Amino acid sequence: MYQDFLPIIIFIVLAAVLIGVPLGLQHLLSPRKNKGGDKLISYECGELPEGSAWVKFNIRFYVIALVFLIFDVEIVFLFPWAVVFQDLGLLAFIEAFIFVLILLVGYVYVWAKGDLDWVKMNVRYGKGRYANLQSKGETS
Amino acid sequence: MSNLSSLSFYIPELIIIIAILLVIVLDVIPVCKKYTFPLSLGAILLASVFLWQSYGESHGLFMGMISIDPFSHFFKMIFLLSTFSIILISRYEKQLDSNYSAEYNALLLIVLLGMFLMSSSINLIMIYLSIELVSIPSYILAGMLKNDKESNEASLKYVIFGSFASGLMLFGLSILYGITGSTDIGVVTAALQAIEYPLSIYFPLILILVGFGYKISMVPFHFWTPDVYEGAPTPITAFLSVAPKAAGFAILIRVFYTMFTLEGSVSATLPLTNINWPTLIAVASAVTMTLGNLLAVQQEDVKRLLAYSTISHVGFMLMAFAIISPDAVRAIMLYLFIYLFMNLSAFYMAIFASNKLNAHHINDWDGLSRKNPVLCAFMALTLISLTGLPPTAGFVGKFYIFAELFKHQQFYWLAVVAILNSVVSLYYYFKIIKSMYLVDVEGEVNKIEAHPVVNWSIILFSAQNILFFIYWEPLIGFIEKSINLWSG
Repeated sequence: MYQDFLPIIIFIVLAAVLIGVPLGLQHLLSPRKNKGGDKLISYECGELPEGSAWVKFNIRFYVIALVFLIFDVEIVFLFPWAVVFQDLGLLAFIEAFIFVLILLVGYVYVWAKGDLDWVKMNVRYGKGRYANLQSKGETS
Repeated sequence: MSNLSSLSFYIPELIIIIAILLVIVLDVIPVCKKYTFPLSLGAILLASVFLWQSYGESHGLFMGMISIDPFSHFFKMIFLLSTFSIILISRYEKQLDSNYSAEYNALLLIVLLGMFLMSSSINLIMIYLSIELVSIPSYILAGMLKNDKESNEASLKYVIFGSFASGLMLFGLSILYGITGSTDIGVVTAALQAIEYPLSIYFPLILILVGFGYKISMVPFHFWTPDVYEGAPTPITAFLSVAPKAAGFAILIRVFYTMFTLEGSVSATLPLTNINWPTLIAVASAVTMTLGNLLAVQQEDVKRLLAYSTISHVGFMLMAFAIISPDAVRAIMLYLFIYLFMNLSAFYMAIFASNKLNAHHINDWDGLSRKNPVLCAFMALTLISLTGLPPTAGFVGKFYIFAELFKHQQFYWLAVVAILNSVVSLYYYFKIIKSMYLVDVEGEVNKIEAHPVVNWSIILFSAQNILFFIYWEPLIGFIEKSINLWSG
């Protein structure tokens, strides 16, 4: 039975060799003197990098991406269903309908809570240390 | 059973699913927002009625994905009871933002649904999915106090730990699928009986134990427990310390008794040939309770202290799990049931103290018995029960576990460790009693009344500790009827 695992051993050995050989080669061949300077600049296909990559992204991108991901996955599920739809009949149609309906509830929720608005009109800041902040959209 | 005909045995879960969707929809309609709370409670009540009616039935549903049997029904009753009580009491918890109460209730209902599936899944994929369905809403619930730093920390730590543990478990499940070629645990069981290399079974077994051990906070997968329990809103702490742990034990018993025993059923008495997992569990149990108790001794924060105490209680339950026999399963189930009442009442008392006195530290509880003598008397009863001293139900639970341990005659050393641990636990539980009763506070003392719901929750849950000490006969009879797993 252990022989069944032989391919896995071969893969492990191959992986070690494939990483070890190039690393060893570059260790042997690379010039040692030229350190620092342009070598330490991150490689951007020949362009000189502008500014730092460590910038804060707006959290709104995150929310939109998350919502997008859910509906993206929904499509992934619906494609195989659509391919065999005719063989499965009415029951499969109802099942897919319920599936989409549940996702729709989530969509309605996100929409009604204003998470799809790029400029938020009413933001609550809760009780804590942000209690005195006011969003720009609020008039009062 | 096919999908359509399964639905008629799936009514409690369907009620919960519809309630979840309705709560989410009603939340966004301003007029209906106030109905989400009664709706959640009503759905749980309705689900329990249907669950009670179908007790005793035993079927495999959805083409071998989940099963309903008396065993899962017993655990589902625990889940319904604890979720109902938590949703009820959360309304009177001051910390929580009432604007998010609909989301809060919906998330609790989703966890409830996940636990329902956890206690009845019989397929490796379903096991993984149900554990995730419990975990992911729990991460959000732990971080429910948006502007509280500790709550955010709790949530983040929980996510990182949880995803790592479930990743390891998924790895174990995939190896199990690799060596047996099926995800149905009935087929896996049959295939495992034929394998004679213990090494290839040990590996997935330990990885799966990581996933389950994290859910029940078994040492060494307990690191999230104190931080999450301290940071999360107190009702959620109470919830996490009872319901998902019960679900973890349900799935642990189902998976280990069917897959890793020689007989492949809950009536098993021997582990799989060459696989000595009971010793593994026994060592884990000894370490769990010792570490939980020793660290609890140093705690000054009440919630943190109770968190470590739950770890040590898990150690006690694992002790019975190390003995493979139907009677040991009975002891675990009895202990879980009693543990539900004592732990919830202790945490409700913490809710009362933090609501009215903003008390988190043990010193803040000083002289509480003069401020509210009734609740403090019941809290003392709960703490005695948690210790496991005689006139309480905790003693009955511990008695059954020790009785199994001595009957089995294999782990005498474990019994010695457990008895020593009981002595240690006496110290830190009585630290709270000492603070409530023996420390004098100077000056005028005002009486503090709890909100009636909180008040009666503490009294009702705490009173069970005396009830089940006097009269546990029907309970043990009911549990005996419930040790009945559906198999193929």
